[in-house]
Amino acid sequence: MAGILGIYLFDERWDVYNFGVFGLMALQHRGQETVGLEVFGKSRGKIEGEGLVDQVLVNNKTAGHICLGAVSPYPASNGEIQPIRLSENVSLAIDGKILRIDGYQWDPTLSYEGNLRRALEGDSVEEIQEFFSRCRGGFSYIALNGKPEMVAGRGDLGVKPLVLGKMGFEGGIVSSESCVMDIIGERVPISPAENIEPGEVRIFTPLSAHAERLRNCSRRAYCSFEYVYLARPDSYINEIPVYRVRRKIGEVLAEEGRVEADVVIGVPETAVPFAMAYSNSTGIPVEKGFELTGRRVRSAMKPNQIERLKGVQLKLNVISEAVRGKRVVLIDDSVVRGNTLANIVYLMKEKGAKEIHVRIGSPHIVSHCPFGVEVPPEDELIGRHLPEEKIAEVVGADSFRYLSIDGLVEATGLKFDDLCLGCFNGNYPEV
Amino acid sequence: MKVLLVGGAGREHAIALTLARSVHQPRLYCLSEMVNPGIKKLVDSSMGEYFRGDINDPGHVANVAEEVGVDFVFVGPEEPNFHGVPDRLEEKGIPCIGANRAVSELEMSKASMRDLQWKYKIPGRLWYKKFRTYEEAIPYIEEYADSIALKPARQAGGKGVKVIEDFQVYLQEDKRRVKREHAESIVKEYMRGYEDTEYRLLIEERVWGPEYTLHCFTDGRTVLPMPVVQDNKHAFDGDLGMETGGMGSVSCGMNLRYGIDDERSIITEEEYKRSVEIVRMMIEAIQRETDKKYHGVVAGQMMLTSVWGPTVIEMYSRLGDPEAANVLAMLRTDLVEICEAIIGERLNTIKAEFDDRAVVVKAVCPEGYPNKRDLARGHPVRISVDNGTGSILWASADLVDGRVLTGGSRIVECVGTGSSIPEASSVAERLCGAVSLEDGWKVFHRSDIGSEKFMERRIALANMAREIYQYRERKGLLGKRMMWIPGKGLVEVG
Repeated sequence: MAGILGIYLFDERWDVYNFGVFGLMALQHRGQETVGLEVFGKSRGKIEGEGLVDQVLVNNKTAGHICLGAVSPYPASNGEIQPIRLSENVSLAIDGKILRIDGYQWDPTLSYEGNLRRALEGDSVEEIQEFFSRCRGGFSYIALNGKPEMVAGRGDLGVKPLVLGKMGFEGGIVSSESCVMDIIGERVPISPAENIEPGEVRIFTPLSAHAERLRNCSRRAYCSFEYVYLARPDSYINEIPVYRVRRKIGEVLAEEGRVEADVVIGVPETAVPFAMAYSNSTGIPVEKGFELTGRRVRSAMKPNQIERLKGVQLKLNVISEAVRGKRVVLIDDSVVRGNTLANIVYLMKEKGAKEIHVRIGSPHIVSHCPFGVEVPPEDELIGRHLPEEKIAEVVGADSFRYLSIDGLVEATGLKFDDLCLGCFNGNYPEV
Repeated sequence: MKVLLVGGAGREHAIALTLARSVHQPRLYCLSEMVNPGIKKLVDSSMGEYFRGDINDPGHVANVAEEVGVDFVFVGPEEPNFHGVPDRLEEKGIPCIGANRAVSELEMSKASMRDLQWKYKIPGRLWYKKFRTYEEAIPYIEEYADSIALKPARQAGGKGVKVIEDFQVYLQEDKRRVKREHAESIVKEYMRGYEDTEYRLLIEERVWGPEYTLHCFTDGRTVLPMPVVQDNKHAFDGDLGMETGGMGSVSCGMNLRYGIDDERSIITEEEYKRSVEIVRMMIEAIQRETDKKYHGVVAGQMMLTSVWGPTVIEMYSRLGDPEAANVLAMLRTDLVEICEAIIGERLNTIKAEFDDRAVVVKAVCPEGYPNKRDLARGHPVRISVDNGTGSILWASADLVDGRVLTGGSRIVECVGTGSSIPEASSVAERLCGAVSLEDGWKVFHRSDIGSEKFMERRIALANMAREIYQYRERKGLLGKRMMWIPGKGLVEVG
């Protein structure tokens, strides 16, 4: 996965660099390993590196009124830093994964990027559009050629999100999430951004900006994990406010996983809204259970176990006063291997919690994600192999419950058939 | 009866069509820089004559009018007003529908308009500051201005306005630099060639809300309001992109209803009344100030803002374009009779009637419009439907040796009508699809204007602004703005 951003301003007097920096910062939660920002003006320049946005994009060496950027959770050793160069003129920022390309024989001896490069022919708007219309998988993309012209769209299934925002009379912004518009766009009183529909393409040229519908794509497979964990709670994904879904998840958990307790605590940051809603539904008071040391990181997205545990331990120092002598409902967003959760439960018991009832704001993760969300090999997934009672014992909790798949679907307000629930049930949409 | 129409854009085509449907069957004459193929047809079929020439030269216009021996002249665009065309005609004893030089100041000088509005305490006045030079404005932009509209202090063909929302302090440096540079281009580029106003640059507070245009006929004594129309200035779908002269406009009933039999509307009846009152006060103020009578059309380019409710953004001394196509399509009263009543200052005897039908107008433009017009000019136009009904109005198009070439601005305005705005929009949409350029150069139009989603968003925006201004009104704070400036204390504007 990744967070992608394209800013297209018509007036050449703008210097878009800082808009790019703060826009990518608003997408930082979608990837914290690498950052890249390419700026198009009189010349074309790219700044890229490993680390967070404010570590990599430290001084402006480029000038221009148009830019393309991405943050990614993959270490630089795994591939090229986005935006990637697809041809001499075309740069690409992509979230998700292209699995095959109609009319192209995938070459296993080439890298992923290498295959995309070989498959793309030409660099005009029409040719770029035609190329992506042949791509199958779960992805959203923003591509720019040398003119510069920008083409942005979503794969047929709409797995990955993409929205369009505006900057007054100055131009447009395309990004993975709508929170970007709040940070760098125009404050529009009704809704911050417009959803780009699957199969729809947005084109920006120095002379125009318009939408094109390539074909009617009625089948949907919106990524359900966006609502549980990936997206920011202040974003809208497929026109649905993420915060609303998270609140609803807390309410469903309160029904499905009701338990006698004295306090509800959410594991920061993602699970805090679940805990608040659980508390509001049950009347059990919610408390702040943890304090953070150092920089805010998304520990679950760290590439190795030591880094993840380091993240958790620094992020989650238990506030003993909140838990001592109490029966605690501890709510987290998801469980992959269970080690970090075990760590949290251990720390909380150590600080005097009497009972700990773990509730998870998503169903058990049993399978990989073909669309680029990092899920470890299946033999590492605790939820695939152990029942809830056993997991409770392993993590040291008094009880343990997942959100049901039906509960998740209900919380999104979407139809079962319109969601991709592959990581939770192993059923993937046909691409 | 003979009528000379001055101007040759989409608005004038709409005026010509409306004059042609009069029971008085006027013989139509037209003077404009390019030969508008639509007006040409109407001129020819009424046995009139088309003159190519400078519409801003009062002597030339008067000569043409005298030569033809017209009963009256109808001035379409604003520039002839600013150049004193109506004044010259009046001197020669030729009746004219068109604001004279003095009263057209309302539109020509955006700074004078605001001065007047504040002097006469007319509601809906935005906070502003005017500057004679670019240098004068710089310290001001550096120190105070945050979210503002930078405007040429004179009406400059609708060009040069830049609205910059400067709210995010982390982007302030970039935004202030662009503001400074744009202020400089306003003075040095956009205002070049206009030496008729003392002030060169205007800075106004930025406001948000749905925009709408309210036109009125006036003879200086009576004000006859027309239905409210909403124009759309962004070049591209979804309110994206550069500011244009207007990409399309919608109307239904007097107060922008969703449909004939629909309760939803963008503007309430009460807001409509208040808007009419504001325009009436503006007319009265300019007449008192100049001691001249206003004969013609005046329009408030308004916005429903959270600060004031109905608020004046700019004033027009003529019909808006493309809004003219909306109001004239709805007009049931004979336009010739209205004109005669204005000339005779007996507009009080006329009851202007409009039908309730929804009208949606969409402009089709060549790529390059609005900022690179040299690229947009000179392409041969093809229309693949029969336009006998005149629902496609010719705008910036020139009839040369039997071929129609683009003039660089909007090529045509497609007019759709229906029982609701979305219905009228799909009619206009179909017409837009029939317009193309023979050499393959691309055209564009706004497919979103008038769609269901578009209307719902506009109504939601209006509701939001309304909730806030009504709250302010209940608190006695309408139009008042208060700031606490540390060390200086409470500063009140309003």
